[in-house]
Amino acid sequence: MSSVEDILAAENELTHLLGAQQAVVLSTRIRLARNLDGMPFPGWAKLPQRKEIADRCVEALDALPKFRRGHVLRMGELGDRDRAVLVERHLVSKELAAGKSGAAVISRDQTCSVMVNEEDHLRIQVVKAGWHLRGTWHIAEQLDDALGGSLKLAFSDRLGYLTACPTNVGTGLRASAMVHLPGLCLAGHMDKVSRALNQDGLAVRGWLGEGTEAAGNVFQISNQQTLGLSEEAILKHLGGWIKNVVEQEWNARRKLAQEEGEKFVDRLARSLGVLRSARLLTSSEAMNMLSHLRLACDMGCLPEERRHLVDRLMIEGQPAHVQARAGQELDSDGRDRRRAAVVREALKDFPEVVPPTA
Amino acid sequence: MSQPIKCSLCEEAATVHLSQVVHGNVTKVHLCEACAQKGGATDPAVFQLADALTTASPVPALTCPKCGFTDIDFRKRGRLGCPYCWETFGDALGGLLLKVQHEAAHVGRAPAGTLPAGQMRRRLDEARREMEKAITGEDYEAAARLRDEIAELEKQLAIS
Repeated sequence: MSSVEDILAAENELTHLLGAQQAVVLSTRIRLARNLDGMPFPGWAKLPQRKEIADRCVEALDALPKFRRGHVLRMGELGDRDRAVLVERHLVSKELAAGKSGAAVISRDQTCSVMVNEEDHLRIQVVKAGWHLRGTWHIAEQLDDALGGSLKLAFSDRLGYLTACPTNVGTGLRASAMVHLPGLCLAGHMDKVSRALNQDGLAVRGWLGEGTEAAGNVFQISNQQTLGLSEEAILKHLGGWIKNVVEQEWNARRKLAQEEGEKFVDRLARSLGVLRSARLLTSSEAMNMLSHLRLACDMGCLPEERRHLVDRLMIEGQPAHVQARAGQELDSDGRDRRRAAVVREALKDFPEVVPPTA
Repeated sequence: MSQPIKCSLCEEAATVHLSQVVHGNVTKVHLCEACAQKGGATDPAVFQLADALTTASPVPALTCPKCGFTDIDFRKRGRLGCPYCWETFGDALGGLLLKVQHEAAHVGRAPAGTLPAGQMRRRLDEARREMEKAITGEDYEAAARLRDEIAELEKQLAIS
């Protein structure tokens, strides 16, 4: 079994762990950009240097207890589909997957993944299901300390951690929350909310990060500034805004449910109906209807304990995942057919949608 | 390596990548320097970077002695060549950093055991301000954490 098949087969908290999921915030992510002292950044390094960087970083990572029995994946050794699966799971970026000299070291429970030779030598990432800013940060901090113990990192007294791009220098910290905002989208307020976030130094992006569509009403909100603010200040600023956005989302949902009454329940019930009987489902159609099911679970229209199943389908309904599960390459129609079959099977014993209790 | 992304408006290689959110839909724009200058995207920091890259007065010709990277390379890529480039291009990048980051000096963490005295003092000042804010905001959990950090910094500064 390839390592990527292992990753797909393993139960992890984003897709399986009952009780880890929360309403509105799907996951919390911390990313730290780090570089080796005295080595050119990956984008400027010659091939033999990139190889040396990858070897040194992978060796240091592999020795850490956090990655015991984990996965070491070199992009040059993986097929297109395996790399696409890793991107869809947010374990590596599109940029890393596109290059040959990148590698990813992933912990057994898939909460920690370190990209090697992306834009920087090291991109430490920690992801937890739900909203756990402190806990997620704490794990990243420990990993950073452990790595700093075995590798000499590029650091300047004045500028902090030195990175390839000026937008990351200083703390190298990008903290983000993946949020599901169907209420604000349906109410037509998302534009206003993104503008307010942008104006206060936070970026709003789609499901797969920079440049992707906000399929399924899922957005990633992250800090922009990395220099001149302490990690504590960055986390606090993001935390304050996420709390605010979650409140606004709940207000929008309650208002919609109240004003629309039966129409609100009908919308959710129709989505369940389509998902339960469609023979062909495109990726974006599935995402948008699954968004309704997640909303239904949050609002008490469907049992809350089904939420993790909806989250799993959002991840496993993506094109590379559908093909990996089928064990073969599929054309667009084939994927839509297969996706519909997986969703039908998963939802076959779902109860009916009832009026909201939340 | 991946295919270079082309500018969304012309055929030049794109060096500026912008995300824009309109009515809840995120769209991505890839621009070359010339087109970015004319653009009207809203992602603040990224657009400011584009702005700073394309409108900065010509940087004096500089070459990093460690990796051979030049200011021309930076204007093409928007990324530096190696950690030492920050030393080489530091002064030339000052204006850009202020535009992109609004700050010019680091105040956060450092690799274990390497936090220099100057930076410890800066962090100490900031931690004291943060603690006052936390107390005003009745966030006692954060205040307690900051109090411990301040005590640790004061101890280390007294030793060094």
